[in-house]
Amino acid sequence: MITLSDIPPRGGAGFAGPMALFVLVLATLPLWIAPIGLYEYLGIEIAIWILFAMGFNLLFGYTGLHSFGHGAYLGIGAYAFGLFQQQVMVSLWGGLFCAITAALLAGAIVGAFLSHRRGIYYALLTIAFGQVFWFCAMKLHGITGGEDGLLGIPRPDLIIGAWRVDLNDNTNFYWFVAAIAALAVLALWRIVNAPFGRVLQAIRQNETRARFVGYDVWRWKWLAFTLSAGFAGLAGGLFAMAQQSAYPDVMSLHQSGLIVMMVLIGGGLVNFWGPVLGVVLYYIARDILGGLTEAWLLWYGLLFVIMVMVRPEGVAGLFHSLKQRLPRQASVTKPEQA
Amino acid sequence: MALFRAEGIQKRFGARVVLENITLSIEAGSVHGIMGPNGAGKTTCFHVLTGHHAPDAGRITFDGRDITGLKPHVIARLGVSRSFQMMNLFDDAVVIENVMLALPAFRAISGRPFRTSFGDSRLIEAALEVLDQVGLAERAWHNAKSLSYGDRRALEIAVALAAEPRILFLDEPTAGLGAKATQNLAQLIRRLRQRYTICLIEHDMRFLFELADRISVIHWGQVIAEGAPEALKANKWVARSALGEVA
Amino acid sequence: MTSLVPHLVNGITLGLLFALIALGFTLIVGVMEVINLAHGSLFTLGAYLALSTIGAGWFAETAFGAWWLSLPLTGRFFLALALGPVIAGVFGMLLELCLRPTYGKAPLYGLLLTFGAALVIEEAIRLLWGTGEQNMPVPQMISGAFLMGGLIFSTYKFYAAGFAIVAVLLVWLFLERTPYGAIIKAGAHDSEMVRALGYDLSRLRLLVFGFGSALAGIAGMVMAPIWGLRPHLGIDVVIPAFLIIVIGGVGSFWGAVIAAILVGLATGITGAYAPAWSLMSMYLLLIAVVGFRARGLMGRRSALEN
Repeated sequence: MITLSDIPPRGGAGFAGPMALFVLVLATLPLWIAPIGLYEYLGIEIAIWILFAMGFNLLFGYTGLHSFGHGAYLGIGAYAFGLFQQQVMVSLWGGLFCAITAALLAGAIVGAFLSHRRGIYYALLTIAFGQVFWFCAMKLHGITGGEDGLLGIPRPDLIIGAWRVDLNDNTNFYWFVAAIAALAVLALWRIVNAPFGRVLQAIRQNETRARFVGYDVWRWKWLAFTLSAGFAGLAGGLFAMAQQSAYPDVMSLHQSGLIVMMVLIGGGLVNFWGPVLGVVLYYIARDILGGLTEAWLLWYGLLFVIMVMVRPEGVAGLFHSLKQRLPRQASVTKPEQA
Repeated sequence: MALFRAEGIQKRFGARVVLENITLSIEAGSVHGIMGPNGAGKTTCFHVLTGHHAPDAGRITFDGRDITGLKPHVIARLGVSRSFQMMNLFDDAVVIENVMLALPAFRAISGRPFRTSFGDSRLIEAALEVLDQVGLAERAWHNAKSLSYGDRRALEIAVALAAEPRILFLDEPTAGLGAKATQNLAQLIRRLRQRYTICLIEHDMRFLFELADRISVIHWGQVIAEGAPEALKANKWVARSALGEVA
Repeated sequence: MTSLVPHLVNGITLGLLFALIALGFTLIVGVMEVINLAHGSLFTLGAYLALSTIGAGWFAETAFGAWWLSLPLTGRFFLALALGPVIAGVFGMLLELCLRPTYGKAPLYGLLLTFGAALVIEEAIRLLWGTGEQNMPVPQMISGAFLMGGLIFSTYKFYAAGFAIVAVLLVWLFLERTPYGAIIKAGAHDSEMVRALGYDLSRLRLLVFGFGSALAGIAGMVMAPIWGLRPHLGIDVVIPAFLIIVIGGVGSFWGAVIAAILVGLATGITGAYAPAWSLMSMYLLLIAVVGFRARGLMGRRSALEN
């Protein structure tokens, strides 16, 4: 029997293998990260940014909507988490729920303005909205603490039934973040390969045609934006816990641009796993190049410029074309009928 | 009663009046042709009829329902489907996915992010059936981008068919096709007309005269003549102004 | 209550300065349909180069530097006004060469590439000139301040605004009254035509990019005494520039000028009542305008929409 799962997903990449590898690396990270000269906190940051980048790629790579202001929703999640802890109650799930909801809400409102637009105009409007949120975070001292941000955000204990885990311990916190990142990746895989995700990809490929076969493109674009803002909000909540603070810097155009660079360098335009690769490469560059030279961002920027010039499909795209050079028995042909 | 009617359609872009006054009436089960010289407003006319542009004046009804100014996706869901002159496909997808995306049954389950249809083979069968109609079933698992020009034109029609329309608008389906492919297409349209009402813009007069029951000739944004092909052939003025190659 | 008039004057002055900033940007967008996010960085580069020209830069400690600094400030200032933009223009041309592989692809790639270039230039400035804020000296004849309606105005700002008017008019005259302008405008609408006329399109692009970047450098030089110099100035500059283009409508020269003055006025008037929020007003203006008019005030259809 032929089923939808036989329709090759983008990038032709399988899921079980890479996912197993991904989980394996995440799960064993605390064992080897210190011996190779890095530190555990880096693992936390990478896991959070993977979550952010994968959610962002739902919009950027899959739906083809180019947001350059996505840091705003991460920031909103972070502030929402912090404010909830400080003003309402100290609660892990309450805070994360609040972070996601706030980002979803902001995404829904902004998405309603954006979804009529396409191409560069869309990108430019996302920058404008991103700047508005960043500006609010800077100027609303009474709520956000201005430039310094919210400080002293607690990391509430994780409580499941009678089981209580102290997340102030970085190893425990790492497990928590890694588990959430893995779950989110699983959820995203399901989303992008379900009919839902196929429609998003159809809109990327041809908005006009999607409209003429009966899809309300405005609603889909809005949904994609809102959803990906929600993922950013979750990442933001976790980031507030990791940093124990929330500050406007993550909402700046600079940060929003970095996430685009990570996703693109990794190959998010052609591969589901591209953003993961991009995030890991970025942090390796930051920590290893950064250890060698002050100007690491200069080299990273140059790398990016060259990448856009010669290989905009990113690192994952590089793998694809390498694979294609190797002799293969059959490309995409009709699967066997059972 | 006519299945699809347009009355007094007018469309301006800025100061330029592209459609002056278009009145058309398409009978259920017929093949209705639209012809006219380049720049006469044929494609704009299609754009207005299928909701891409809202008309500045006039009324469009489909099956007795007023659809003037409705959004394209709403009109599409009512059963008005169209193909494009410039190809409009989902190029990164395989052929069968192009068709599947247009199936109403697929659309119905697409709204729920976690609803997978892994294991749902009915969709595949339905899509293969559509592809079979245009002779592309063999190529179902090829990339849409890798198809030959003629096959892409066929896929263009298949996507329109997959939406399960009651009326099918085809915008210059023969554009760029060779004689052999044009003949195949004529045969396809003869088969399709048993199931669908068809409205067809065409440049190739022989093709159109062979297939259409009625033809509207558009010039200067107006319908300057309308009738059965034989009647139009007899009309000297039409022949001279619009049909250069046939007269 | 303070009178509104000085704030209006302030707003219009600011608007003219914004127009100067956006001038090169609008030229490049109009002709090449590339959003040059490195525009602000080229602006900053021009400003720093001018600063080094005035202050003898890395040669300040040498005998040459001592001799140089003994020359009158006015002379060095006007030399800087010429030198900074030329070098910024050369960097612009370099950027255009890098952009070539992205032509014919989605406009996103041009946007991404120039974003990366902006990052590179900004980091390079940080390396060469340090991260601290610096000030640019101004010749005495155009410095100083005066009072009007209870607000202090800097004299230099008015000279700068006057310069902006002259620059806008010159560029307009160049586009409208010279054969070069006609070719550039044809390139904006119809690259086939340019080729048919026997002009080399890639050279045209190179020159337009260089010219636009030089304009960015001039703006940077002129604005530096007002805003001060810091490596991340680029982002503060490119954002108003692109807001102005989008509000004014891509490809419309006067649309951009009008939008710049609107943005200046909005900023100036908000500054009168809620100073902390004055920069926010331009974003709200953008959202208000583009919310209702997809192509801005005077825009036409462009490939950037695909």
